[in-house]
Amino acid sequence: MDKFDQRPDPDAILEDIQAHQARRPGRLKIFFGYAAGVGKTYAMLDDAREQYRCGADVLVGYIEPHTRPETMQLLHGLPALPPKTIFYRNIELKEFDLDEALKRKPELILVDELAHTNAEGVRNRKRFQDIEELLNAGIDVYTTVNVQHMESLNDVIENITKIKIQETVPDYIFDRADKIKLIDIEPDELLRRFAEGKIYRPERAETAMRNFFTQENLRLLREIAMRRAADRISVENQSERRLSEKMANTKLLVCIGPSPTSAKCIRWTARAANAFHAHWVAVYMESIESEQLPREQQKTLRANMDLAEKLGAEVVTLTGHDIAISVSEYAKLSGSTNIVVGKSRNKRTFKSLFEMDLEDKLLSLLPSIEVHIIPGSTPGRSYKKPRKIRRNLNFSFSWKDTAKTLGLLVAATLLSLGLRRLEIGEQNIIMAYILSVLVISRITEGYAYGIVASVISVLTFNFFFTEPYFTFNAIQAGYPITFIIMLLVALTTSTLTVRIKTEARLAVQRERRTEVLYEINKKLLATGGLDNIVALTNDYIVNLFGRSVIFFTTDPEQGEDGRVMQAADDIDASVLNSADEKAVAHWVFLNQKRAGAGTDTLMGAGAFYMPVISRGKVLAVLGISSAKGTLDHNAHLFLRMIASQVAMALERQHLSDEQHIMLVESEKEKMRSTLLRAISHDLRTPLAGILGASSAIRENGKELDEDTRDKLIADIQAEAQWLIRMVENLLSVTRINESASKVTKSPEAAEEVVAEAVSRIKKRFPQRTVKVRVPDELLEVPMDGTLIAQVLINLLENAVKYSPSNSPVEIVLKKNGEWALFEVLDHGKGIAEKDFPYLFTGYVPNGNKSPDSSRGMGIGLSICMTIIKAHNGKMEAENREEGGAVFRFVLPLKGSE
Amino acid sequence: MSMDVKPLVLVVEDEDAISNFISAILNANGYQVMKTNTGKEGLSMATSYSPDVILLDLGLPDIDGVEVLRSIRGWSKTPVVVVSARGHEHEKVEALDLGADDYIVKPFGTSELLARIRTALRHSPKAMGTESNGIEKITIGELEIDYSKRTVFLSGEKVHLTPIEYKILTLLSKNAGKVLTHDYIMREIWGLYAGDSHTLRVNMANLRRKIEANPGAPKYIVTEMGIGYRMVER
Repeated sequence: MDKFDQRPDPDAILEDIQAHQARRPGRLKIFFGYAAGVGKTYAMLDDAREQYRCGADVLVGYIEPHTRPETMQLLHGLPALPPKTIFYRNIELKEFDLDEALKRKPELILVDELAHTNAEGVRNRKRFQDIEELLNAGIDVYTTVNVQHMESLNDVIENITKIKIQETVPDYIFDRADKIKLIDIEPDELLRRFAEGKIYRPERAETAMRNFFTQENLRLLREIAMRRAADRISVENQSERRLSEKMANTKLLVCIGPSPTSAKCIRWTARAANAFHAHWVAVYMESIESEQLPREQQKTLRANMDLAEKLGAEVVTLTGHDIAISVSEYAKLSGSTNIVVGKSRNKRTFKSLFEMDLEDKLLSLLPSIEVHIIPGSTPGRSYKKPRKIRRNLNFSFSWKDTAKTLGLLVAATLLSLGLRRLEIGEQNIIMAYILSVLVISRITEGYAYGIVASVISVLTFNFFFTEPYFTFNAIQAGYPITFIIMLLVALTTSTLTVRIKTEARLAVQRERRTEVLYEINKKLLATGGLDNIVALTNDYIVNLFGRSVIFFTTDPEQGEDGRVMQAADDIDASVLNSADEKAVAHWVFLNQKRAGAGTDTLMGAGAFYMPVISRGKVLAVLGISSAKGTLDHNAHLFLRMIASQVAMALERQHLSDEQHIMLVESEKEKMRSTLLRAISHDLRTPLAGILGASSAIRENGKELDEDTRDKLIADIQAEAQWLIRMVENLLSVTRINESASKVTKSPEAAEEVVAEAVSRIKKRFPQRTVKVRVPDELLEVPMDGTLIAQVLINLLENAVKYSPSNSPVEIVLKKNGEWALFEVLDHGKGIAEKDFPYLFTGYVPNGNKSPDSSRGMGIGLSICMTIIKAHNGKMEAENREEGGAVFRFVLPLKGSE
Repeated sequence: MSMDVKPLVLVVEDEDAISNFISAILNANGYQVMKTNTGKEGLSMATSYSPDVILLDLGLPDIDGVEVLRSIRGWSKTPVVVVSARGHEHEKVEALDLGADDYIVKPFGTSELLARIRTALRHSPKAMGTESNGIEKITIGELEIDYSKRTVFLSGEKVHLTPIEYKILTLLSKNAGKVLTHDYIMREIWGLYAGDSHTLRVNMANLRRKIEANPGAPKYIVTEMGIGYRMVER
């Protein structure tokens, strides 16, 4: 009975609400100070004690052990989490035990020192990542941080204190905090505490005093801290409208590169963007040089890009050999209003006399834009621009090029000898050599062959064609000039050639990348179904990167394995689907961030995992094996582009799935309402009959003669029987699976189902003849036997009703190829032509029901149709030539699964 | 008829309208009836009055009918006929496998109810003691089975059955009138490691083609959809 109770279960609702509450991220409160010793930890513990007294479930996650005794006293009585001990190079390190904290899941947890860097071997590199995980798990967090650890203020503070701060916290952590509590004391007071040894142990105090704890430093730091806190308040106070107006107006663009100055530019831009509440883009120019960057600079470049991303920039890579033109084009397209460039003070060189500076070029190209110039890096750390000449001079010997060079030189010499024989002027001989040098520069790799060729040319020319012949003595006055010209020709040609070649290669690479992306996009568009999307993506990634790949479409926590495609000689599914790797993928699902090899989180993993995100939801996680080394920057960029295409495809898939569900839902709704409309009237009629007859008997039973009474009782019985058949029909509809109009099928002997229907009809109409024919072989048909019996009963009942009572009805079961064919035949007057279109719809439009169908057999037929369709069968009706109607349906003999 | 020969039927049914008409029918046909609305009361009445047949509705308000059956079967072999709605085949099979003797589908008519109760009484342990055991021969309609000679005749002609077919026929005929579930038949015929129901269906189809005039409208072995088979009594 409870099948009909469609009301939502209150327990389920409650559970749902609780689950939602659990998903609410925790609140973060940061105790913010300008230097060590201002009393952040003290204030934090004090606050936590207050919460604890009020009954909150407080847990002390981690407090730095060097904390001062007064502070340590506050710890007393608060439940604390024992630190995790980690052995790293035989040193015992104590770290915050994240997993235990997540397991205990307190309401509020205290974790000191937001900027701390974890020991190697811990899941996250940084403590702020630990804290993000806690927040994501719905745990409130108290933590402490000093102003010098703020990422965007890092260089400003470095300038003031002259101390490089390594441990930084990205600003967004600070900005996502729900509460910032500024802990402030007078610098004088702080220095006094310091002198009393309350902050550092005496042996460390002295160095600290000299370097950091000067009154001037402290004042400046205090000011910065207060400003930062005030900035946050002002952001909170600003009205939404003003904000959005501002945001629409300003867009910053910063040019970044592999130089350390870039970091400064990035930080400056981040601060400015923050102040303006503007979007900002970090643009990196990929050019010929970037191909040949030394490892160290590549690393700096990566770091710069990561930094920009961490501070909230959109990182864009452009290619082209003229930075100014590319940047200005991009700025126009993206609508940037301010461009930030770094500039080191270079010594004036010969070259700079002829070349415009980048900022001048930008100004001339984009007169309406504001250009900000950030001065170069800190002195003492000199930055060498990559010198292409030096690198390209690196001679790479190749027999092929050597042969080409020698061949051409010999050819030029022979040609010259010929020319001299013909006595066609010396200048033409020089031309022949210049031509050969030009060709050599063009067709060989690098600069070396061109230069060697020009030197050899000059020497051969000298040897063969200048007097005295066959000596290296150049007598004539013009020859040194010839030397120089030939050398210049060789160099210029080589440079041009190298540049063109490199650019062509870059262009081809870019082209290829765009092509592949376009191809993926096109194929993804044409692909439907989750499985196909996964297979396609895996296929491309394996082909492009030559590495094994794993694709999780659901959080592995839910038990499903990711789909793996193995690349040649790379790790296989057993590794990628191991519990350890799945844990990383699970983390990525939860935290929406990249993790695994080559990242800051769970670095020990065998693969690199990136989320495929759309509209703030992780749709999938892609893992790429790192067994062949971590992926480089380009691969990362490319993967990200692929991921965004995949995200779109998945999103589309989700939408179409949803649409499909809605369609099915509305179809079902339509069916239900049709049914409801059709039966509501029909149900009332017999009930009225039953009520009338029964009340007649009860109230006037004595006055009625026996015949009348019997007649009334027989009517009651007949009406009740009709009602029961109707209800059975309706019940059978509910057996059809809610979600997909599917039924639970199991193999049944078709003849037994026929026999069942026949026996029930015979019980109801004992006087009628039912002829049954079944084949000699047993037909086993996958079906829901009860439903098919119901169909047969409906059809037989129809046949009995619409044919003369002395005529037989027939039911035939046959095998028809891959189908089982059921036929119900009668000898009545057949189906009226006008009824055919509405035969299986359950109702006649205009409400003009023919009197025959007044007892809802139309509904019976529509139910039959629904049942047969749900079995993937077909049903039809026609009039027989010899008179009467035939209803037939087929069911597939195979496919019980 | 004196009081002590009237069989006692215990009706455990929560719907008053239904138990009213059941007791009306049974009273009119020479049975003594006790009614109860709950499973708990049904259990205590079953112990204290030791009825001849129990008519048990599976959908009771307090305890699941299947649980009532389980606990009755813990100590008694009194025939139990379960009452259940159409479409709840699973529930019926479970009850039959737990030791219910038969079932009847709501809604049912007078004759059906009386036939079920009669069959249940005949197969009760009390009755079994006197007849049925040691029977050598059974005749149902035109069908004649001689257990001692292991022969089967249809309208006087010998029917050739395979050993499995003969075993199935014997099993059903010895329990004529009673429904036997698929599982029960397979266990009885093939033992503990019974195969799938496909084998049973094939054997049944072959058996029917040998003893039934029309396997699409069988006279002797009827199918109980989703539950099992039943041999008619006459």
